[in-house]
Amino acid sequence: MKADCALRISAKLENLSEVRRFVWETALSLGVDSVTLQDMLLAVDEAVTNIIMHGYRGREGHIDVEVGHTAGALVVRLRDEAAPFDPTRVSPPDLTLPLEQRAVGGMGIYLIRQVVDEVSHCITTQGGNELTLVKKGTIRGY
Amino acid sequence: MDIAISQEQATVPVTVFHIKGDIDVTSYQQLQAQAQQAIDAGTRYLLLDLSQVGYISSAGLRAVHLIFNLLRTDSPDESARAVSWGLRDGTFKSPHLKLLNPSPGVRQVLTTTGFDMFLEIHDNLEEAVASF
Repeated sequence: MKADCALRISAKLENLSEVRRFVWETALSLGVDSVTLQDMLLAVDEAVTNIIMHGYRGREGHIDVEVGHTAGALVVRLRDEAAPFDPTRVSPPDLTLPLEQRAVGGMGIYLIRQVVDEVSHCITTQGGNELTLVKKGTIRGY
Repeated sequence: MDIAISQEQATVPVTVFHIKGDIDVTSYQQLQAQAQQAIDAGTRYLLLDLSQVGYISSAGLRAVHLIFNLLRTDSPDESARAVSWGLRDGTFKSPHLKLLNPSPGVRQVLTTTGFDMFLEIHDNLEEAVASF
């Protein structure tokens, strides 16, 4: 992936809007249309929320957000130093449960899978997590 | 996020929440709390004006779903069985909770997650109020 821009934030929920704005502006500058971009925005929001709430669990830490592209696909990569956790291995939620009975963020991984084409996870050399979200066919001219 | 509340009168009294800002994990509890307050004060018909909402996450959807359930009545038309069958057949829409004028992005999230299957989405305030 060619990284076009990167952002580091403290792992706090109040920084979510800054992440969304960063992904939005960077992807728009790559030529991604705003409707397609909304899918990626939702995926990034859910993923970062999960890292803050279930990864760091209130502890101090940071999250690196990288936006780039490869072969016409928009790629967002999230790196953290929270305990290793692979969200791609989480079972789908019980959709028969009313939404209000599910944990906040519990729908996140399900939603991420719904709105982007690829989700992959690996452990970083520092022992943290790297989550990669890919939305294909979103950038013309590649 | 800020919520301005207005009251409209059509066939029934309709409370309108004019929401300004993003509905995400940092703000969804405020929406839930204000809806609960309005319902406790007598609101039975609620229109969420989303025209100034730039973004809604799953936490926001959870709040909307909670409000949907808070406004549900015991009438046979809204029993769990009736709602389930109505959703399957595409015939059920909440008579108590409706949405107004979401941005294309917010509308897309509502569609992706199936919320448009049980909530009417209107583009015009007068029509929305009159539809209750």
